[in-house]
Amino acid sequence: MRRLLRGDMLPLPSNLVSRHLVVSSLPSLPPAPLPLRREAHLWYIVPNELEDTSLLQDYMELLSPCEKENVLSIKGEALKKCAILSRVLVRTTLSRYTDCKVNPRLFKFRKNRFGKPEVEHQNGCLWVPPSLQFNISHTSSMIACGVTVDVPIGIDIEEKRRKPVNNILSLAHRYFSPYEVQYLASFMDPESRQSEFLRLWTLKEAYVKALGRGFSGAPFRDFTIRFEKSTDSVVPERPKSEEFRIMIDTASDSENLTANWQFALVELSGSHLAAICMEKDENMPGTEQVFLKLKVWKTLPFVEDKCMSQTDAVINISGLC
Amino acid sequence: MASVTGTAISISARPSRRSLQVFNGLSVVKSVSFAGQRKSIPSIRSHPATSRFRVSCAAKPETLEKVCNIVKKQLALPENATVAGHSKFADLGADSLDTVEVVMGLEEAFGITVEEDSAQSIVTVQDAADLIEDLVCAKSA
Repeated sequence: MRRLLRGDMLPLPSNLVSRHLVVSSLPSLPPAPLPLRREAHLWYIVPNELEDTSLLQDYMELLSPCEKENVLSIKGEALKKCAILSRVLVRTTLSRYTDCKVNPRLFKFRKNRFGKPEVEHQNGCLWVPPSLQFNISHTSSMIACGVTVDVPIGIDIEEKRRKPVNNILSLAHRYFSPYEVQYLASFMDPESRQSEFLRLWTLKEAYVKALGRGFSGAPFRDFTIRFEKSTDSVVPERPKSEEFRIMIDTASDSENLTANWQFALVELSGSHLAAICMEKDENMPGTEQVFLKLKVWKTLPFVEDKCMSQTDAVINISGLC
Repeated sequence: MASVTGTAISISARPSRRSLQVFNGLSVVKSVSFAGQRKSIPSIRSHPATSRFRVSCAAKPETLEKVCNIVKKQLALPENATVAGHSKFADLGADSLDTVEVVMGLEEAFGITVEEDSAQSIVTVQDAADLIEDLVCAKSA
């Protein structure tokens, strides 16, 4: 792919140690305005569109020593590429929201006590960075990163044509809640059942990732995702959707599984399902929080960014305004 | 066959439920349940009612082979793909849905149930095979 922004940069020798040179060799990213309150931003990369191996090598230079070591230990070129692009996506995306004051290489990450990755802020900065929350998800053909300011977020993407190897009702019996099993059993047509299974799966994954407690901290069978028919009158400006709301039920005595979360489900790029889960704002009146705002960009960092919102690449299934 | 993870101490082939498995100085506690008697298990246990000890059974070669075949099938890998004890699930490209599919496939093939927190510690196929062997041993003990 032709690189539009590269200019006359030197190729980087693999044994180059000097940070100074590395920092100045890639161009700046265009800054992005921060997500508004109640807004999530989603950036995605399509790995197959990156064929330029020297760009991949340059991307490697943005990773921390630990991340590089991890990438080098991965066997298989496709998986290596995915690992590099995941880290590059997170780092470059976050950098954009700091008005590019913070170079992608400089971000430090830590895991919360349940293992959810988060940005570690450096003390002693003269300038206070925004409190960015992020979450990544990937398939073999797409890597996505969701970002908000302050609000915990979880995302999950799956190829929409993905067919589980096991019988769907067996999987649901084993992992989902009884209500969800019944819901799936009500679909006789295998394709519809498969599609509904994936919708439930991505939404449940997005919730667990938003909570940040790990798969065993929020077992799938302990909460229910259901689709409630929307009784609101159709608002003309609202994009056409299937007229249902995504609801979550948790046991009332469950201290760790909270229910103040809102969801959106979209079809992305014609090929993927994407579920987004964000914590609700306790200070906002209930009716205003029915929908979440989402902006979507497709990116190949330092090469091209394309806003995909309001295009066919982002089709609202439920939850967006 | 010794487990790949840490310094595992394998106790005899006929383990008693009271034997304690120690990995790197940390005691590992797992619960065991049988496919026919599935109860709803609370997701958060603050204090287990009774101490449950991990029994240790390193995987027999035939168990490992069976596990490799199931993993290959569940991940829909091509016939010539190499899946061996040292193969890492992450390197096989398994995502979270793949992982639950593999676990379910193993449960059905061996007639056991794997707890979510046990499944989380599995990194390689060998880890899975050792865990299966443990659960199978405990079931028949």
